[in-house]
Amino acid sequence: MAMHTLHRTRAPRLLTALAAAGLLAGACGGGGSPTPTAAPAGSGAPSANPEGGYTGPEVTISYSIWGDPAELRSQQAIVDAFHSANPKITVDVTVSDWDAYWDKLQTGLAGGAAPDVFAMDGPLFPDYQSRDVLLDLAPYVERDAFDLTQLVDQGVAVFTTSDGGQYGLPRDLNTIILYYNRSMFDAAGLAYPDESWDWAKLVEAGTALTKDDNGDGTVDQWGFYTETTDMENYWSSLVWQNGGDIISADRTTTLLGTPEAAGGIQFLQDLIWKDKIMADPALFAETGDAFEQGKAAMEANGSWLVPTHTAAAEDLGFEFGLAPLPKGPAGRYTSVNPTGAVVYKGSKAPDAAWEFVKYLASPAAQEQLMLLQASLPVSKEVLAGPYATSFEGADVLADSLSYANLKPSFRGYNEFTTILQGELDVEVFNAPNKTAAEALADVVPQLDAVLASQ
Amino acid sequence: MTALRRRAAPGPTPRRRGGGPVAAEARWAWLFLAPTLIGLAILSAGPILATFGISLTAWDLLTPPEWVSLENYAALVQDERFLVALRNTTFYTVVSVPLGMTLALGLALALNRGIRGIAWVRTAYFLPVVTSATAVGLVWAWIYAPSGGILNLLIGVLGLPPQKWVSDPFWAMPAIVMMSVWQGLGTSVIIFLAGLQAIPQEYYDAAAVDGAGRWARLRSVTLPLLTPSIFFTGILSLIGAFQVFDQVYVLARPGKPTEATVTLVYFIYENGFKNFKMGYAAAASWVLFLIVAVLTFVYFRSQRRWVHYQ
Repeated sequence: MAMHTLHRTRAPRLLTALAAAGLLAGACGGGGSPTPTAAPAGSGAPSANPEGGYTGPEVTISYSIWGDPAELRSQQAIVDAFHSANPKITVDVTVSDWDAYWDKLQTGLAGGAAPDVFAMDGPLFPDYQSRDVLLDLAPYVERDAFDLTQLVDQGVAVFTTSDGGQYGLPRDLNTIILYYNRSMFDAAGLAYPDESWDWAKLVEAGTALTKDDNGDGTVDQWGFYTETTDMENYWSSLVWQNGGDIISADRTTTLLGTPEAAGGIQFLQDLIWKDKIMADPALFAETGDAFEQGKAAMEANGSWLVPTHTAAAEDLGFEFGLAPLPKGPAGRYTSVNPTGAVVYKGSKAPDAAWEFVKYLASPAAQEQLMLLQASLPVSKEVLAGPYATSFEGADVLADSLSYANLKPSFRGYNEFTTILQGELDVEVFNAPNKTAAEALADVVPQLDAVLASQ
Repeated sequence: MTALRRRAAPGPTPRRRGGGPVAAEARWAWLFLAPTLIGLAILSAGPILATFGISLTAWDLLTPPEWVSLENYAALVQDERFLVALRNTTFYTVVSVPLGMTLALGLALALNRGIRGIAWVRTAYFLPVVTSATAVGLVWAWIYAPSGGILNLLIGVLGLPPQKWVSDPFWAMPAIVMMSVWQGLGTSVIIFLAGLQAIPQEYYDAAAVDGAGRWARLRSVTLPLLTPSIFFTGILSLIGAFQVFDQVYVLARPGKPTEATVTLVYFIYENGFKNFKMGYAAAASWVLFLIVAVLTFVYFRSQRRWVHYQ
């Protein structure tokens, strides 16, 4: 018995030590010692700061983002402007591509050497917040009497917890709209899409715009294009437009088993395999966006595509416009996904980090970010003012927030979507092996199991 | 030949304790091995043991691990995606290793001659090995593109219908095998070429005198004397094949590997870094480690049956 007890109690501790050793060996360039359990400097009440503005010692904080070189330049410009306004705080920006970003972040957090401020994707937020690695900014919001209502509601909401915590501020937003190729509509003598459009109208115009120019049996111009590999690009909006939903408000059950949800996804399958106004997704999987190749007349997709669509339109000599997504049986819905800035709970400079997060959401920073045209500003002032007129169609994007649902955000998001998307891609979108209802019936139990295990 | 006979004759070996030439040699050997051994002990053995420890816990990387003993291993056996990954990885290994080795051997035989410019040709075959997996993946994505892809154009010339090489579950794994074999060919070719060039010309001369034709020389001289190279290439390919990741990762974009292509290492990556299940990922790593260890052991044991050292 004694031996047994010894094993039961000592082995785990030994193994934990080994695990920590392994992590240390694996974590590259981890500077400080791991302090996941030690109380960080700013976890209590923030230092008194009646005047607003940073009054602490000179400090350098690190800021990690994912993105491309253009985004890095834009963020660097914001950081430089912040430094001019707050000379005592220097911000080091590091950028990674999407996958590497999360790998690095997790090893950094595990090794106690995470960046002070880092970008956070809305859907993944609960996975991090619930694991206690983010700093609650509510005390800072209160101290500075920071008005959260100056920011877009959905953007704030995703980083708010049910117990009133505020674990980040939104930095920018993306919504889904309908892009249309004006030149193709003109050539076909069709009226441009507008807010009167519904699903039937989309199929009707899409059919008229799907053409085999040389009569060789292969389509040269598709009426419609979207990406099927993520719910955000289009199909979550279709589910909502059909009166369905993805998961319950308490995040414990998937609601995809309903006929309404299936109907939304079925509409997309039909666009590909029944109406045939959209290409088999495999056709453009390797070569990229069909709209940007001038091979599709319409595309339902994200606001992040404005810069590349503009460049492609210039290259190929076509003009394009933006319209709201067509309405479904249950009305008009789109998806909004905020990217936020969050503060690491173990940050040694939480006051400076907050100051920077606050600045990222400020009108000055938001106007800089707006120049990229790759996302919507979170500042209501900028959104209604300079942004709405900053390029043609920006007002359509700004308006879309009035009928936008938040992209689902819950613990286990990645595991859930890997199972769901694996089934939909293979059985529903890439080939019509199953109807949407059949495929969903097959995966819903697995999805519920993922939610239950969180 | 005389050397062989001389070595075979047993002679008295002088043995002295310490300070002798053998001991001195051993000391030097250890000294030269030390950097590698120390590196292995710290950078490999440590993490391998730590991984075993982690595999006995439920750990999300961010909160303290929780002891679950063998639960992760029990869950793996019932995890459909793990079993699919295991099946896919086995398929990949069983097809890609023999195929890659046969092609490499054929190429090495073809390249093992003293014609002008042969060095350039050999370099060309080695280029894919030193090219980044991402670049290779991009190029192959174009080769496999369903409309306008080179492969579909080629089979179109033969009158065959175009295929969706990457997204069709039937072709997805063969497509990955084809790309990997192409990319890995260079390494095996280099090893085989070195092996071929180490075979003394006298053997071929003797065989020719005995009236052996080209085929007989290949069968009775080249292949037996190449077995050490084949053995070595085999073990490298086998271990590499079980760890296939890059090719799956780059070809599956923009989506994720589906049931048709998910492999063990991708499964490990996905669970550890995407699903917050590092303990579970560690258990899967250990299963992979054990599979590779057992196969390597069996393969090594088989060595004395078919490998001929000169």
